[in-house]
Amino acid sequence: MSMHGPIILLERDASLPLVHAGICTRSGSSDDPPGLEGLTRLCGRLMRRTAGGQTADQVDARIDRMGASLGLDSGHGSTALSGSVLERSFPDFMTLLEETLTTPGLGEDELGRLKRETLAELTELLDSDQQLAQRWFLRSLFSGHSYGRTVVGTAKSLAAIRVEDVKACFERHFVRENVLFSFAGAVDAARAERAVEGIWKALPATGRSFDAPRDPTLSGGRQLVFVDKPERTQTQILIGTIGSHPNDTDYFALLVANTVFGGTFTARLTQEVRAKRGWSYGAYSSLGYDRRRQAFSMWTFPKAEDAASCMALELDMLTEWWESGVTEEELSWAKRYLMQSHAFSCDTAAKRVGLQLDEMLSDLPRGHHDQFVASVGAVTLEEANAAVRNRISLDDLVIVVVGTHAAIGTEVRQAIPKLSSDRVVPFDTE
Amino acid sequence: MSSAAESARSSLLALTRRLNEGCSDDRQVHYLGHSAFGPELRIERFAMGNGLSILLVEEHAAPTVAYHTWYHVGSRHESPGKTGIAHLFEHLMFNETEALKAGEFDRQLEELGAESNASTWLDWTHYDIAVPAPAFARVAELESERMDHLVLRTPQVESEKEVVANERRYRVEDDVEGALSELLWSTAFERHSYRWPTIGWMSDIEGFTVEDCRQFYRTYYAPNNATLVIVGDVEPEIVLKKLQDVYGGYARAPIVEQHIEPEPEQVTERRREVTKLTPTWKLNIGYRSPALGHADHVPLSVLSEVLFGGRSSRLVRALVRDREMASDVRASLSPLRDPGLFEIFVSAREGFLADQLLEVLDEELDRVQLEPISLDELTRAKARIELGLLSGLTTNEGKASTIGFYEVVLGNPSAGFERLAALSEIRVEELTEVARRYLNRRSRTVIGVRPQTQPDTAMPNELGGEGSE
Repeated sequence: MSMHGPIILLERDASLPLVHAGICTRSGSSDDPPGLEGLTRLCGRLMRRTAGGQTADQVDARIDRMGASLGLDSGHGSTALSGSVLERSFPDFMTLLEETLTTPGLGEDELGRLKRETLAELTELLDSDQQLAQRWFLRSLFSGHSYGRTVVGTAKSLAAIRVEDVKACFERHFVRENVLFSFAGAVDAARAERAVEGIWKALPATGRSFDAPRDPTLSGGRQLVFVDKPERTQTQILIGTIGSHPNDTDYFALLVANTVFGGTFTARLTQEVRAKRGWSYGAYSSLGYDRRRQAFSMWTFPKAEDAASCMALELDMLTEWWESGVTEEELSWAKRYLMQSHAFSCDTAAKRVGLQLDEMLSDLPRGHHDQFVASVGAVTLEEANAAVRNRISLDDLVIVVVGTHAAIGTEVRQAIPKLSSDRVVPFDTE
Repeated sequence: MSSAAESARSSLLALTRRLNEGCSDDRQVHYLGHSAFGPELRIERFAMGNGLSILLVEEHAAPTVAYHTWYHVGSRHESPGKTGIAHLFEHLMFNETEALKAGEFDRQLEELGAESNASTWLDWTHYDIAVPAPAFARVAELESERMDHLVLRTPQVESEKEVVANERRYRVEDDVEGALSELLWSTAFERHSYRWPTIGWMSDIEGFTVEDCRQFYRTYYAPNNATLVIVGDVEPEIVLKKLQDVYGGYARAPIVEQHIEPEPEQVTERRREVTKLTPTWKLNIGYRSPALGHADHVPLSVLSEVLFGGRSSRLVRALVRDREMASDVRASLSPLRDPGLFEIFVSAREGFLADQLLEVLDEELDRVQLEPISLDELTRAKARIELGLLSGLTTNEGKASTIGFYEVVLGNPSAGFERLAALSEIRVEELTEVARRYLNRRSRTVIGVRPQTQPDTAMPNELGGEGSE
């Protein structure tokens, strides 16, 4: 719809009596004030639990009675309250969404309960080596940048958050200029527009917009962070640097080159690490983005005895990719894969709406996903190899290993040429 | 039968007659009828002369096709000392064939834009491929090639054993929940082959030989032990003709229905405790549950929702919200050919012990056997199940998985929707009955995980003991 009304993204598909609906803000945890990390996520969850001034029990029972789900997805640059509902309950679901957005109770008691639940989640995270690796990788790679700050919060920041902070967060994010509505499934435009009417009227217009953060940068050479956890038979290894963003002119070139390097099951990384050596069940590289560039990263999880060798091989492969690039044959294959498999990015109404949302929430060039196939098809060998050299730094790398330091720490350290710094952190360090 | 259905039937019968002209018996395709899949779609059933089952759904909503192959073999068919071979074999199926060198199978699929994966469980092995519809014929060639022409050599088997051993470290050795679930099943089952994990014991994985793998392949990978499920933007004539071409030359194998020893009735509670590096106590409890095809399975699945499904369920409210004793509570009901487990997992919050969690669980599980649940709880549980089924059917992949799963386990590809229809008949009293029948403490198994840093506090009834690590 126009600038004067709500933005509603809609993909109709009436083949199942199901509707996906949501509201997203073009802001997220990057906006959390220093010391109050986790505030935006807490705010969104509290809104859902206290919709219309009801108790969380009442809200939960209502959602289940409708045959619905409603959850919060909180990121650095966006926040989404969304879910699915049986078509027959769609009007009730939208009433609940309206109450969530316009009259949440945001009470002290429920905030306290939610904070205690979040603390318990942080404790549970210590069981997941993969999440520990991810936490330390992002924290180290984006040190000093909002992408390095936690979305969930810490024990200290959660303790500092008061009801007044949550109310201020709600008032700041949920304003007309900052929200997008999305619908997919058994709902038409007229019904969707009617459904958002009440919400739109109740939202304030403040003229406020949220700027994207600055581009992240990385310096400091090759940094090793060893997350020390006892009794590990296996390691989790993440190696990476700053990647790219679709606003970079060479984004698609780097995407194609990464597909050759570690983007699929038959890419170089999986073939060398898994197929030839059996070292890791998974071996992939990926490129992420938000409103700004995110990480280029390699992920493997070899057994402890193979960790140093696996890491050395990965670094050699990264260097080889950077120095020699990809071949014409590899490039052609990767382009065909990306162009053909794009069909599965848009084979359902919910996915098609997801692409539209991604375009708006991540500040992508207009038509980015529509032109995906053509953009990939236009990448040349020279562009792909230049993109690797321009975007990927061999000098500034963050390497995170979760494992038992006493068993493999020395070998891991020695496996990294030109290591600038290394530190060991206990796994239960917040 | 409606006139549209009759017309479709006549048309498919005529089609198979035409396709079978001049074909040998093994290559002939026979139309066996259809069943509904929800209000809009039809599953057409065919069988090839060599025993290959084919289920086909025309669905033109997206220009893609899901091509799923289910083999009627899972870890239930293994023997002690050879556990995990069904799963290892699933990995090996992505290797070399007579026509494709190692890595070529995946390479060609990816070039077609395919999404492919595979999974193995207790009752079955499942290979799923989704491609843009024009690639259907090539996928049929690739998938059929590995059914009969796989090449098994020492280097690939040895390398894949390493990969599987690493998968086991990832999912079990270094994963508290994985290790806990494995211990629950191996304690709850003493005779039935559900007692060993699908991934296999580490010593068995390390011990497999090429000959073990060849023998497994010859025994179980044959057209008469497989079901193809094809859902998507395809035409029956093109599909059937291609399947005749690529599978028609394969011979049946002498599949012998293996005797699986039934699990004797459990008459006393079993308890074990292990110590792990984990911040809080964990509990995993298994009550005996009926097979998926048993009449009690649907009401028990509703009861599971009432007790554990979502934030408004009784146990989530009691343990996570009201008493704040747990960070996570969930349950799952085994969807298996034979009786399995109604499995409950609870993760304590700091400061709470396993016996305290168990006390609250027992209170609630006793209550549901004594007092009828409310109509509102029943309504909520049914709505959640309906949402769950429909949410899994938005893609051709989801439809093919649902159809294939129910076909392989129950022999009824429409069972998902039939179970949904059965929900409307469920009464409150039935839930009380199944609660009394299955939530029986004498026939349950309780596994506790003690956090390594906790003081030496045992669960009641000497939980600490035989299984401590």
